[in-house]
Amino acid sequence: MKSISLYEEGTSFVHDVDPITKLWYIPFAILIPIILPLFTVSFLLIGLSLALLLAAKVIRKTIPVFGFVFLILITVVLIQGMFKPENETVLFQIGPLTMYKEGLLFALTITLRVINIIGAFMILVLTTKPSDLVEALVRKGMSPRIGYVVVSVFQIIPEMMATMSTITDAQRARGMETEGKLLVRIKAFLPLLGPVVLGSLINTKERAMALEVRGFNSQAPKTFLYEEKTYQFSKILQMGMLLLTVAAVVWRIFL
Amino acid sequence: MKRIVVEGLKYKYPLADSLALNDVTFDIKQGEFIGIIGKNLAGKSTLCQALVGLVPHFYKGAYGGKVFVGGLEVKNHSIADISLKVGMVFQNPFTQVTGSKMTVYEEIAFGLENIGVPRSEIIERIDSVLNLLKIEQVKDHNPFDLSGGQMQRMAIASIIAMKPDILVLDEPTSQLDPAGSEEVFQAIQSLSKQGITVILAEHKMEKIAQYCDRVLLLNNGKVVDFDTPGKVFSREDLEEKGVTAPVYTRVCKALGVKKAGTDEYPVTLEEAERVLRGDGA
Repeated sequence: MKSISLYEEGTSFVHDVDPITKLWYIPFAILIPIILPLFTVSFLLIGLSLALLLAAKVIRKTIPVFGFVFLILITVVLIQGMFKPENETVLFQIGPLTMYKEGLLFALTITLRVINIIGAFMILVLTTKPSDLVEALVRKGMSPRIGYVVVSVFQIIPEMMATMSTITDAQRARGMETEGKLLVRIKAFLPLLGPVVLGSLINTKERAMALEVRGFNSQAPKTFLYEEKTYQFSKILQMGMLLLTVAAVVWRIFL
Repeated sequence: MKRIVVEGLKYKYPLADSLALNDVTFDIKQGEFIGIIGKNLAGKSTLCQALVGLVPHFYKGAYGGKVFVGGLEVKNHSIADISLKVGMVFQNPFTQVTGSKMTVYEEIAFGLENIGVPRSEIIERIDSVLNLLKIEQVKDHNPFDLSGGQMQRMAIASIIAMKPDILVLDEPTSQLDPAGSEEVFQAIQSLSKQGITVILAEHKMEKIAQYCDRVLLLNNGKVVDFDTPGKVFSREDLEEKGVTAPVYTRVCKALGVKKAGTDEYPVTLEEAERVLRGDGA
C-alpha cells in the first residue's frame, strides 16, 4: 500500500536514536542560532544536520523539500537585496537592478535559519517511523487518542485516495468524461465529491463503533505489544543539548 | 444461567419516525448459540448493537426497557465496560481496521493493548486466534492489503482475542467464499463449545439451521418467534416475514415429508437425508 509517510527505513545510527531525542533536536537547532546570531553558529548547525542526514543515507529524499523551499528563498533574497529600507551599500548592479549588502546579509540570515529548521525536521521525519514516535510519546503520557489520530492519518488518507480512484473508475465506466480540458475535469470532479465525502462520513461512523467495542475508551492503563525500545545515550544527548543551550545563553549574556 | 436478559426493549433512532426495536423480550442462557434472522431492516443489526451498548450510548435516540448482559445493565454502563464482557464483529470488515497499525499482528493487539492485557499474554492470545481463524500466513501483512475474506477473519480474530464471555456477530461471513464461511462457522462453534455465548445475525439460513441452538426471528422490530431451528423454519408464515427457509426444508416441504413424530420439517442436510431415505425417520 502506498504510504504518505516520508519515513525511510535504514540501519544507520541516526535511525537508532530515540525519537524523543530527535524531537528535542528541533527546538535545539532553532533556538541556538537565535540565541547566538552568528553566521558561524548557523553554519555549524546546518553542517551538523546535513552530516546527520548524510549518515542516515536520506539526503536524497530532502532534495525535493529543499528545492521547494529554495524557490521561496530566492524571492526573499531578491526582495530583501533590492528593497530592504536599511539598504545603503551597493554591492553590484545588473541592468536597472541594484543589490545592496545589508539586504543580502539579512536574506542570508533568514535563508540559514530556514535551512536549519528544515534540516532538523527532516532528521525527525525521514528517520523516524511515525508509529514509533507516537508510541514513545504515548509512553511518556500523551493521550492514546491523540496518538491514534496522528498514526491513523497515515493509513486512512491513502485509503480515501484509493476509494476516490475506485469511484472515478466506476463513473468513467458509466461514461463520464474525466480527461481533457480543465472545464471537463472540473465537471468530472463534482460527482466524485458526493460519494467520497458521504462514504468517508459513514466509514468514520462505523470505524468509531468498531473502535468503541475494542476498548478504545477504556480507562484501564494501556499496555503495549512491543517492549519499550531502549535507546543508548538518550539521556546524554538530551542533557548535552540542554547544557549547550544554557551555555549559549550564558555566553550571550556575559561575553 | 441466563447470560442475556432483554425485557421490553424499545428503541428509536434519532430523527427516525418509527421504532427500530419494538417491545423485544427474550433471554439467552450461558453457552447457547443463537441465530438472529429476518429480512433487511428487520432490526437485526440494531438488536446486536443493543447488546454491546452502541444502542443507546453511541447513537443516543429514544430507549426504553432493560437489557442485561453478563449481569451489567447496558443503559448504566459505558461501552468500554461492556466491551470487556461482550465482543462484537460488524458487517463491514473494511471499517473495522483501525488504521493505526501496520501489520495484522499489531492490529489484533490493538484491543488487547487498550484493555491493558499484559504483554506476554497479548502474544499468547494473538498466536492462538491467528491459528483458530487460519490467518497465520498473513500476520505480517498490512491490514488494508488483505482480501475481504481475510480482513473479515482478522476482524473476528481481533474480537475473539479480547476473550469476551459473549460474542455478537453481525453477518460475519458476508465477504467469505463457501469454504471460508464454513471454516469461520466451525471456529465459532468451537468457541461456543468452550462455553462462550454466541449471538449471530446471518442471511445464510443453511448455516443457521446447522449451527444454532435457537433462532430468533425478527420482523419490523418485533420478535416473531424464538425457538429451535426446526420449529422456526417449519412456520407457514416464514415467507411473509421475508425469510426463506433452508433449501433442505423447502424441498421436504414441497414433498410434504416431516420428521417422524413431530410437526417439523428437516432443516439440515443430514436430517433431510435421513427423512427422505426413510431410515430411522
